[in-house]
Amino acid sequence: MASSPPSGSPSSKEKKYDRQLRLWGANGQNRLERAHIALFGATATGCEVLKNLILPSIGRFTVIDDKLVEQADLGVNFFLDQDSLGKPRAERAAALLGELNPDVAGGFRIDNLESILSNTPGLLDPRTTEFTHLLLMSPIPTPLLLQLPAEIPIFFVHSLGFITSLRIYAPTHTIIEIHPDSLVDLRLFNPWPELSEFALEKTSTLDVPESEGGMGDHEHGHIPYVLLLLKYLEDWKQSHQGHLPGSYSEKTLFKSMIMDRMRTGVPGGIEENYVEAVNAVMGDLRTAELSSGTKEVLNDPECQSITSQTDEFWIIARAVKDFAGSNNALLPLSGAMPDMKAESRGYVALQNLYRAKAYSDAAAVERIVRDYMNRVQHPKRNQIDRDAIQLFCRHSNFLRRLNYRSIADEFSNSNEQHKGVVLGALGDWDVESSLIHHYIALRAYQEFYTGHGRAPGDTSHESCEEDYQEIRRIICEYLKGIGYPESLPERCEKVAKEIVRAGGGELHVTASLAGGIVAQEVIKIITRQYVPINNTVIFDGIGSRTQTFEL
Amino acid sequence: MRTMTPKCKRHSSMILKSCKLHKFVLAYTRGANNSGAGGLGCEILKNLALSGFKDIHVIDMDTIDVSNLNRQFLFRASDVGKPKATVAASFVMSRVKDVTITPYYGAIQDKDQEYYMQFKLVICGLDSVEARRWINATLVDMVDIDNPESLKPLIDGGTEGFKGQSRVILPTLTSCYECSLDMLTPQTAVPLCTLATIPRQPAHCVEWASILEWPRVFEDKKLDNDDPEHVQWIYEQALHRAQEFNISGVTYSLTQGVIKNIIPAIASTNAIIAASCCNEALKIATGANPYLNNYMMYIGNEGVYTHTFEHEKKDDCPVCGNLATDFAVDPEWTLEEFIDRLKEQPEVQIKKPTLVTERRRLYYQGPPQLNEQTRPNLEKKMRDLVDNREEIAITDPGLPFSLRLNVIFS
Repeated sequence: MASSPPSGSPSSKEKKYDRQLRLWGANGQNRLERAHIALFGATATGCEVLKNLILPSIGRFTVIDDKLVEQADLGVNFFLDQDSLGKPRAERAAALLGELNPDVAGGFRIDNLESILSNTPGLLDPRTTEFTHLLLMSPIPTPLLLQLPAEIPIFFVHSLGFITSLRIYAPTHTIIEIHPDSLVDLRLFNPWPELSEFALEKTSTLDVPESEGGMGDHEHGHIPYVLLLLKYLEDWKQSHQGHLPGSYSEKTLFKSMIMDRMRTGVPGGIEENYVEAVNAVMGDLRTAELSSGTKEVLNDPECQSITSQTDEFWIIARAVKDFAGSNNALLPLSGAMPDMKAESRGYVALQNLYRAKAYSDAAAVERIVRDYMNRVQHPKRNQIDRDAIQLFCRHSNFLRRLNYRSIADEFSNSNEQHKGVVLGALGDWDVESSLIHHYIALRAYQEFYTGHGRAPGDTSHESCEEDYQEIRRIICEYLKGIGYPESLPERCEKVAKEIVRAGGGELHVTASLAGGIVAQEVIKIITRQYVPINNTVIFDGIGSRTQTFEL
Repeated sequence: MRTMTPKCKRHSSMILKSCKLHKFVLAYTRGANNSGAGGLGCEILKNLALSGFKDIHVIDMDTIDVSNLNRQFLFRASDVGKPKATVAASFVMSRVKDVTITPYYGAIQDKDQEYYMQFKLVICGLDSVEARRWINATLVDMVDIDNPESLKPLIDGGTEGFKGQSRVILPTLTSCYECSLDMLTPQTAVPLCTLATIPRQPAHCVEWASILEWPRVFEDKKLDNDDPEHVQWIYEQALHRAQEFNISGVTYSLTQGVIKNIIPAIASTNAIIAASCCNEALKIATGANPYLNNYMMYIGNEGVYTHTFEHEKKDDCPVCGNLATDFAVDPEWTLEEFIDRLKEQPEVQIKKPTLVTERRRLYYQGPPQLNEQTRPNLEKKMRDLVDNREEIAITDPGLPFSLRLNVIFS
């Protein structure tokens, strides 16, 4: 993105994208603008997804579709108009979607997935493809889904009547910025020497009354609560054989110890900084622990043996792991500190202490990264990105790694994890409100389409009852295959009927809703920020609910 | 429960037949706080038009800004400065056949009950609490138990970043907007003395510049958050102050965010919430499937999570309840302190209240004679003005109803 003029006022691009830059920043925006998205199927749902990606400015899009625009399309798809009738859907949708944002390059291809896979496979070959992400609109026969390359993220979407579902497959997805509510880590139980010394110095006359040469009331009421806690923790340790207040009852005692030291003869009768200190006891006083997400990343096999092929994320992760290994299992400090009652100068001095520690921790991690890269002659060893390392360190306790099950594994009848998830959901205490039945019915729809080349309940076919019986048979077979011991759940039957009734048709509101859900997930995958689902989300427009499953 | 027939592939045409006689209003506007409501409005119009609604009115008091273009897809760069309602209506009519959309460029408060009575239901993609309270109270007030047609379902949506909510309000029957006012996060204001003497955060510097420094320097000129020169001035002052106190992080973008209270907004979240609102409208209008009872929250930050639940009606809701709300009062407070505390209450949210009891006028904002007459009461203690359990009626220019509080001395 263009840099801001020196006056600080925003560039025209920053103005246009202001409301989203506040969510994912220049970093996320740059990733978005490098994406080239292929849409297979210019359905109402597909066009709605693309709309929500073109508006925030992906780099490019290509609409792939081999149908001609029919009257039926105009009833549900906002990105086809009267003039489009009889013309190629791909061409018209690309044109009307392209109008949404002149910053995005759009194109189309009158083609379909099956013919691309057999006639022009280079278009989807990871070594030659231009596409970074694939949007696949149902219906698509299962064997075609199984031929897609494992290197490119795919988003497979069903949108039938009031029901919609999204299945994501992506290569291992790692996230640094999940945007937690707070990055604050005060290290009150593990202060580093400079912080302890600073606290000691600033609180030496804290408990001495002003009349006896101690601290004045004004200063006393403006000592940042972090320093109060550090000081009283030292006092506590002295009277508790060096132990910290760890249990709930100890913390309660510790709170009253702080309250006892508060000066009450001041205007208002209480000191805000003491109140803040007491309020922080339960939440902020804890031993630093690794989050489960960070543990998964640091224990990932990718971290274990660094080679010249290893991605920078994993090299930094390994460096952070080594850093923690020689730092009493403490991660690099985030450096974030909340606002608190204090004088400007005292607050800024404390903040600088946290920031300086975060900076020196990140510098230590950078040295380890450099060391690894030099050792394995990594091609990027001369372009180490300091900002990226600092960002990683700041978020090091919020890392995520998502491993997606392949679609082949989901559709093979022998994947134990898949079976476990479905059986678990069917045996859940609140199975009556579960959307697992929707998954099972949609899966049967998928198999029906693969076998018959048409949707169940399609208008061109008269016998809906026959179609329903076929769907029912497929469901029973699947349930038997995964070892479900009971008869067909009533709710499965109900949803199956709903799906046959939809006849493969889209409702505009459902398409629009799916367009929103899918686009949010695509954005999370592209920007590598926030946490996308793993791996399926279903929305039921009748109950107005969603549920996610790792299928 | 009516359901769709299996033969109907183009659902839209079927729905179209069943509701072509109905009129629908879509109200979307911007008030003092903007939260990307125009984004919901564009989506809602498109969704209603493609779901077979034939007669739609749209209200919006705003004009198009360049920062709308990342999500308000009915507008182009060449539309900047034009009224949103008019541009949106003509775009959708040019794209979708057989739909009539009547735009109104103005505030929802400009219209009276007779106007709202002609519609089947009201959908709101509003971005201000004040406007939502107004339409909610108006629709509740319109309900006449002898006339079922007078009950207009209100569907309300709102978004922030990857999160949003949609809800269905059946005035007088279900929880109303006022019943849930305490769900809003209270606005925590930074004490003025922090801004004036001990700033610590970049936002403190911006607020100092806009709240204290601007009125001091420009006594007679009001700060216009949309005027780039004004924003630039605030930014420069804030930056200067930050440097003076060694505070880092004051940027132009932060300055804008603080003074305009900008809430992040993206197309995809608007699409989800607007579609959910229209899905409920569709279910109500066609009777196909039960509609939402009555609240859905969508959270997309971490995976996808929805919470669908019934928000309960409050017996002491000042709009749809019958009881006065209890309010704890320290008898030693002055009336002025009492008013200040009222303003802090998330379930009250008033700015310029006028207060009366059965036996006396406590405080009047106007007319001038009454204001002058009641002003001395501000200094008096509550125990000298009201009795324990006495009811105070509060009116405010922002509220289309009066609030009743039971004073409970503590």
